[in-house]
Amino acid sequence: MPEDNAKAKPGRTQGVLELSEETRNRLAELQVLSKKAEAGDKRARKELRARVRSSSEEVIGRASDVGRKMGQTLAHTASGGDPLTEEALYAKLDLMRAQIAGEDPTPLEVLLTERVVSLWMLTTVLEALIATQYRRVVDDPSERLSPSYVLQQSRILESATRRYLAAVRELARVRKLLAGVPAATGSSRQGARGGVPG
Amino acid sequence: MVASAVAWERRERGGRYYTRSRRSREDGRVIREYVGTGPLAEMVARSDRTKRELEEAKREREKEELERLEALAAPVFELSEAAEILTHAHLIAAGYRRRKGEYRRARG
Repeated sequence: MPEDNAKAKPGRTQGVLELSEETRNRLAELQVLSKKAEAGDKRARKELRARVRSSSEEVIGRASDVGRKMGQTLAHTASGGDPLTEEALYAKLDLMRAQIAGEDPTPLEVLLTERVVSLWMLTTVLEALIATQYRRVVDDPSERLSPSYVLQQSRILESATRRYLAAVRELARVRKLLAGVPAATGSSRQGARGGVPG
Repeated sequence: MVASAVAWERRERGGRYYTRSRRSREDGRVIREYVGTGPLAEMVARSDRTKRELEEAKREREKEELERLEALAAPVFELSEAAEILTHAHLIAAGYRRRKGEYRRARG
């Protein structure tokens, strides 16, 4: 990993990569309704269906869009500013998207694909950054890392890897469970491609 | 080993005596080392100070690096959680219930 990356300021990926307040609010509403519906509240289930139908496609689109930008930002970080590497990583991410989402994906599948791709890119970047540090220690033993730092670093990588594997499983599960479920649940294949800006 | 605390002690007969404290590796007790006095002690004190400053700078670098890794991961983790909420909402709306992490068709 090139040096200029190692010196990047904390928080550089935030801002455009955060979900908007409105998206967060809608997610919170869906979460509350899901909880009530799961507890047996029939009105909540009805309301949840309506919300999923009316607004979740837009929320999914926005989240997918953020996910796509995230993948690109991580690719930029991983490339260390080298345009060729950056382009190669963008191409790799596009290829992954196409292969994972498959033909005619639902909006939910698009989002879950973005999630898998972003988490893959994140684990790749983290592994590269950590490997660079270890190489530095091998070259210069005075650069020895403190045990607490190595532990914290491993925790972040482990957390990303765990989420990546869970994301792959989740996509497979959704495909299995929602196969044949009518469009009423918002899993319509119509308008699935591309995200809603914002 | 870098001393965790250092001090110059004043002696009754005059002059300063350089001491440093460190934690014992065997039983964890604090051990006070009497290093000495004069130019040699001054040199050891300077060396200890440099070591402490280097350690401090390293800790600061590691802290910044961890913050950077966390900042890289945070938005991806947030997206991941959002996807989870949306997936759950879809499955519940489609008539599933989650039991012990597994989704099953809800009865009725």
